[in-house]
Amino acid sequence: MENRFARFHPLVSFLFYAGSVSLLILMLHPIFLGTALVIIVLINFFHDRLSGLRRWKFFLITTFILMIILNPLFNERGRHLLFEVGTHRVTLEAVVYGGMNAMSIIGVIALFVSYNVVMPPNKLLFLFAKILPQFAVLLMLTLRFIPLMRRRLEEISVVQRSKGISVSHGKWNRRVRTGMLYVQTLLTYSLEEAIQTADSMKARGYGMGTRSSYEYFKFRNADVLAIIYLVILLSLIIYCRSFGYGFLTVYPVMEAWKLSHLDMGALTCYLMFLCFPLFVEAGGWYRWRLSN
Amino acid sequence: MAFIELTNVTFTYPDCSEPAINNLSLKINKGQFVVLFGASGSGKSTLLKLLKKEIQPHGKLLGQIVIDGQPVQETEGLANDIGFVFQDPENQLVADDVLHEMVFGLENIGLPPNEMRSRVAEMVHFFGAESLLARKSHQLSGGKKQQINLASVLLMQPNILLLDEPTAQLDPVSTREFLDMLKRLNDEFGMTIILAEHRLEEVFTLADQIIMMEKGQVQIEGEPKEVIPKIWNSANKDYVPSIPALFLSMNGEGSVPLTVKEGRSWVQRAMADPYGEKEQVSTPLLDDVRIRAKSISFRYEKKSDFILNELDLSLKKGEFYALLGGNGSGKSTLLKVMAGLLRPEVGKVFYDKKALKSYKDHELTRRIGYLPQNPKLFFLQDTVEKEILETIDQWELADATEADNLLNQLGIAHVKTSHPYDLSGGELQKAALACLLLRKPEILLLDEPTKGLDPISKRRLAEILLELNAAGMTIFMSTHDIEFAARYATKCGMMFQGNITSEDIPRRFFKGNFFYTTMIQRIFRDLVLRVPMTLEEVSRQCASIEKL
Repeated sequence: MENRFARFHPLVSFLFYAGSVSLLILMLHPIFLGTALVIIVLINFFHDRLSGLRRWKFFLITTFILMIILNPLFNERGRHLLFEVGTHRVTLEAVVYGGMNAMSIIGVIALFVSYNVVMPPNKLLFLFAKILPQFAVLLMLTLRFIPLMRRRLEEISVVQRSKGISVSHGKWNRRVRTGMLYVQTLLTYSLEEAIQTADSMKARGYGMGTRSSYEYFKFRNADVLAIIYLVILLSLIIYCRSFGYGFLTVYPVMEAWKLSHLDMGALTCYLMFLCFPLFVEAGGWYRWRLSN
Repeated sequence: MAFIELTNVTFTYPDCSEPAINNLSLKINKGQFVVLFGASGSGKSTLLKLLKKEIQPHGKLLGQIVIDGQPVQETEGLANDIGFVFQDPENQLVADDVLHEMVFGLENIGLPPNEMRSRVAEMVHFFGAESLLARKSHQLSGGKKQQINLASVLLMQPNILLLDEPTAQLDPVSTREFLDMLKRLNDEFGMTIILAEHRLEEVFTLADQIIMMEKGQVQIEGEPKEVIPKIWNSANKDYVPSIPALFLSMNGEGSVPLTVKEGRSWVQRAMADPYGEKEQVSTPLLDDVRIRAKSISFRYEKKSDFILNELDLSLKKGEFYALLGGNGSGKSTLLKVMAGLLRPEVGKVFYDKKALKSYKDHELTRRIGYLPQNPKLFFLQDTVEKEILETIDQWELADATEADNLLNQLGIAHVKTSHPYDLSGGELQKAALACLLLRKPEILLLDEPTKGLDPISKRRLAEILLELNAAGMTIFMSTHDIEFAARYATKCGMMFQGNITSEDIPRRFFKGNFFYTTMIQRIFRDLVLRVPMTLEEVSRQCASIEKL
């Protein structure tokens, strides 16, 4: 299925992901975080039918469980005692605090999974090329070189295995030595080859003057509207947050979970912000139905 | 006044006693197609790089290089006037996707986005590369990569195009395509093109002027038809492509034919049905199968397509098998599977009737010598000598004098103390071969050993291989070099879509092919009953007829 959100200007996507990550970190409140997680899973569902999240399933679950267990293990503070293991106090506060952090972190990871679907590296590159053209070139080279080096290392290990030299057989000190030789060969070889890359860059006028950048993406009206929408909501939420709304104080005394009116207001804005990709998909679907 | 003019140019690299370019003078007119050739290390690349200020190598330069009335040293902003395409398709790439790669040069010269857009649109259309734009550059075949490199350079609208062995790594069809593109640029836009090349079969037909270099000097220069007889009569006979060589070896009369068309019309004029049908000379082969692949399938990733698809292959003892096929048809993968470096997903490889798996790694490596496509990766040590000592140590070979003999035999004793990366392509190839031969393998698997070799090194390599072959070594090589395969191999195979679609002895193998065939075959196709494949065959056939 075509992903309508990805068709927005990279700035919109970037703003959404940067905003969402900061919200997940700032708004530590179980209700906020819980709804956010549901929404993020929904976004992932609409973008790639959860295939990305499935790959991260194991990592996500272990992180979540580890964080919930570890916090009460090291932290005994809090008034509401749940139970005691030997002399170790397990408090409700510790569990809630650990749980909130765990949700926040897996939320951020899940967001990045969806980010990878929507923002391939060239979009990020495009954004940076505007502000920092030299940095963009560096980023571009790095993006090419990391997988290139990995392929080369594989190639070296295949070629060396054909000579009977390998890192998976023999005494371990010999293996370490061979491994070092591999890396050394990889580096000298890559440097040697990079001379040609450098020549090819210079031959195409790199470093001659100020760089311009090819415009892969046009800024449309919809993009402007989306940015206004996102920025207004984000500022409202952060304004509320600066007065302590949308945040559950756990220590020293845990607040009630009940939401005040302003908390509710903040939650509404928060939901509207996070649901933006869903609105886009829904709107697109609706328009499709109307036109057909 | 000439467009490009060099007067008494001498160039010496730092720490070198011999100059790389020695008192060279040269004139090239606007709109000419010039082909530079000569042995590796004769200064072709250096000369090309000297013409472009941005990539001039460090060293001492004497003399004058003037382009379009301006000395190269004093010019500013020539970057977009002169385009340069390098040998290695991969190393020139900067970006990881094709569109970024194409516009890289335009961004560098600060072209406004609108103009960039229109130039890109036009160029992409010219190259028919619409479908490639969003692809990752490393997924493209070598031929396509080189076309993208050319496109990226052409987007800057150069007047002069310099190319340093651009087709060295391309298969015959991609090479043809690339050269056609150059021809069009030269014909339709009057672009001045200077091309350095080793494989001269096809480029001589395109050139207005050919320049042969030796030791940093221009040896022979002029129009191809006038100059070729001179080369033929010098010590550098090997450089003459097979069609003019056929003409010259038969003492033909009239102008030298260069293209297949000219060759065919000459042959028709010169010999009306020169020889009738003759019996096939069947080469007796020992029926002793050395290595055998039985319906093997292989793919790199679970979800990707099969690179090798139910492939069968058997190599007999003493066979010299040449495997041809396009870039990315799976030749390298097959070699790796045969060497036991990759495990086939389905099927088995048998070595001396025992499954490859049942051998210990050690036993197998001793018997199978594998020369990778990129011999640079073969060397872990920083000199050739250390690498050899390491090999002797690893395989517990007592004799160091044997190694010296081998080096002498291969003619690379002088590079013993050099760093492998400082050797030329041919020397590197032989140094790696020396390390392989030390452990006395029974089978040699060579991945494109003729890549980037000049004709003379190629002939020497062939001599070495034939000698080994005669001593009973089984040789299996992949190559893009059809003339080489036709001349030396005892059997040829064609790789297509993960399978060997046809295999036969060279003369029958090449008979039916259109692109994958030799120049001589193209000339005699349909003209005589027994179509010869190589120059040697022609002279042998003629000789036998005279005897009758």
